[in-house]
Amino acid sequence: MSDPSVTQDLIHGGEGPAASVVSASNKPRSLWQDTWDILRHRKIFWISLIMLILFLLMAAFPSLFTHKNPDYATLAKSMEPPSGEAWFGYDLQGRDVFARTIYGARTSIIVGVLATLLTVVLGGIAGVLAAYYARWVDSVLSRIGEIFLGVPYVLGAIIILGTVAPAQSSPDRVTIMAVVIIVLAVLGWPILMRIARSSVIQAKHQDYVQAARALGAGPFRIIFKHLLPNSLAPILVYATITIGSYIGAEATLSLLGIGLREPVISWGIAIADHTSYIRTGAHAMLFPAAFLSLCVLTFVMLGEAVRDALDPKLR
Amino acid sequence: MGRYTIRRLLQLIPVLLGTTFLINYMVWQLPGDPFAGRCGQRPCPDSYVSAMRSQFGLDQPILVQYWQFLKNMLTGNLGVDFNQVPVATQLGDAWPITIRLALLAVAIEAVIGISAGVLSGLKRGGFIDNVVTISTLFLLSLPVFVTGFLLQWLLGVQFQVITPTVSDEAPIMELIVPAFVLASLNMAFTARLTRTSIVENRRSDYVRTAIAKGLTNRRVVGVHLLRNSLIPVLTFLGTEVGSLMSGAIITEGIFNIHGIGGLLYRAITGQDYTIVVPIASLLVLVYLVSNLLVDLLYGVLDPRIRYE
Repeated sequence: MSDPSVTQDLIHGGEGPAASVVSASNKPRSLWQDTWDILRHRKIFWISLIMLILFLLMAAFPSLFTHKNPDYATLAKSMEPPSGEAWFGYDLQGRDVFARTIYGARTSIIVGVLATLLTVVLGGIAGVLAAYYARWVDSVLSRIGEIFLGVPYVLGAIIILGTVAPAQSSPDRVTIMAVVIIVLAVLGWPILMRIARSSVIQAKHQDYVQAARALGAGPFRIIFKHLLPNSLAPILVYATITIGSYIGAEATLSLLGIGLREPVISWGIAIADHTSYIRTGAHAMLFPAAFLSLCVLTFVMLGEAVRDALDPKLR
Repeated sequence: MGRYTIRRLLQLIPVLLGTTFLINYMVWQLPGDPFAGRCGQRPCPDSYVSAMRSQFGLDQPILVQYWQFLKNMLTGNLGVDFNQVPVATQLGDAWPITIRLALLAVAIEAVIGISAGVLSGLKRGGFIDNVVTISTLFLLSLPVFVTGFLLQWLLGVQFQVITPTVSDEAPIMELIVPAFVLASLNMAFTARLTRTSIVENRRSDYVRTAIAKGLTNRRVVGVHLLRNSLIPVLTFLGTEVGSLMSGAIITEGIFNIHGIGGLLYRAITGQDYTIVVPIASLLVLVYLVSNLLVDLLYGVLDPRIRYE
């Protein structure tokens, strides 16, 4: 998420303390430079960044981590406990739990990232419009947001998914992932709208926006050149944490049997499939659950580290 | 204050109408046949489907259906489900169990969350503070069902301290672990909120004055600092009562508790939407009203806040 600023700083400001002092005296330091300076001294940031890279690698190239086929099943090995041959043991169908756990990362990360992107686009547009045009646009959008917020998250997701893709149906891979992504975003956009709205309202009354308007800038230019860049920081932080919570939400829905389902490989499905075997073979459930929790932890930790660095008041 | 209350109540009406309409619309109008799996392996005979459709008003346009729903709700008529069992009796059996679970969860949140937050806020950067920060981070990252299955496996299967599932009457003792699971996420939020609030108020003028007057540490913290710091925490706990009710869907599923969440979940998986709509609407009502009550309570607890 913070990659652009990271690479920029590695190129420009990475020559040691002397260089940064010189550049500081020449031009004013941006928010992102300050943030980076704080971030690179924080252990928690590096830990979460390394974990993030690991999970991204897992999602992009699962064959780097395992050479086994996650769909290859040997029923004779059903529920065999972990051993040297299969580190995490075998699941109910006799498939390698380690391979399935590694391949599960892709699904979770795709769903988390795409649902968050959609949330940011929907909520961001609504928030900017509400704040920029104020008056009736603001009241209408805010009321609609309140209606969506009034439906508790789990409840809303269960109702929509339960009717669109009931547990008995078996939609194909792409359809069900798209449906889950859309449901998560549709229920999550009002919070992002509030964040975008309040930060745009704050920026709207600044002198530079007034100046831009006096110089004859149209609404598009004002919104994209002046308002959006200034509300980016809180949105970015919220989005990073949201990726984590959406990954958890996806697994929760899969667990309830109305989210993703076979043939998709996902941590949520792996956990759901083995909840009834908790007494005889907890390994088939515990390992995917551990990876799921670590993945959520990575995004939450990263988001919190960036938030703390962006907002020194909280420390 | 009175005018503010009335204005808020009036604002509640369109939101409530919108939400219930949304639920009705999603349940009845989105694609999917409510009678798909009701007659075993065979498709349902047309006479059955048309009789059911006319009994539940499904042959009417959505606005007429919604009007019927509103009339029934306002007269307290919850109707019957697809098996002709009254929804009200099912609700009556399930309601007390969920209330017990939710209250227990709020108590756990309040006691553990607030004490952890106070301890870490008073000694910022200390050992306890670090422990609390890291453990809340972990609690925030664990999806509720992972915490649930983990505790069920550890305490119920490995160490056999608890019975893995709760019996039908759901006595308080058996509900402690499920309530802890239900509370875990909000407990972490409560601890963090308390900590931030304590840290902020420690720098305030009235705390400095209290220390300068020579009050004992105990009095400064207990009377001056805590009272003011707990206001946002109390409101948070109040707001979350509503969402606990729907969070109970997952917890009740894991521990096999026969409460509202379990009822709702079984109704959805069994595609019995006649139970889903009234219960979901009631949950939304509880959620919205608890939010309103908390907002009003805020003004009572903190006289500095003025409603215009």
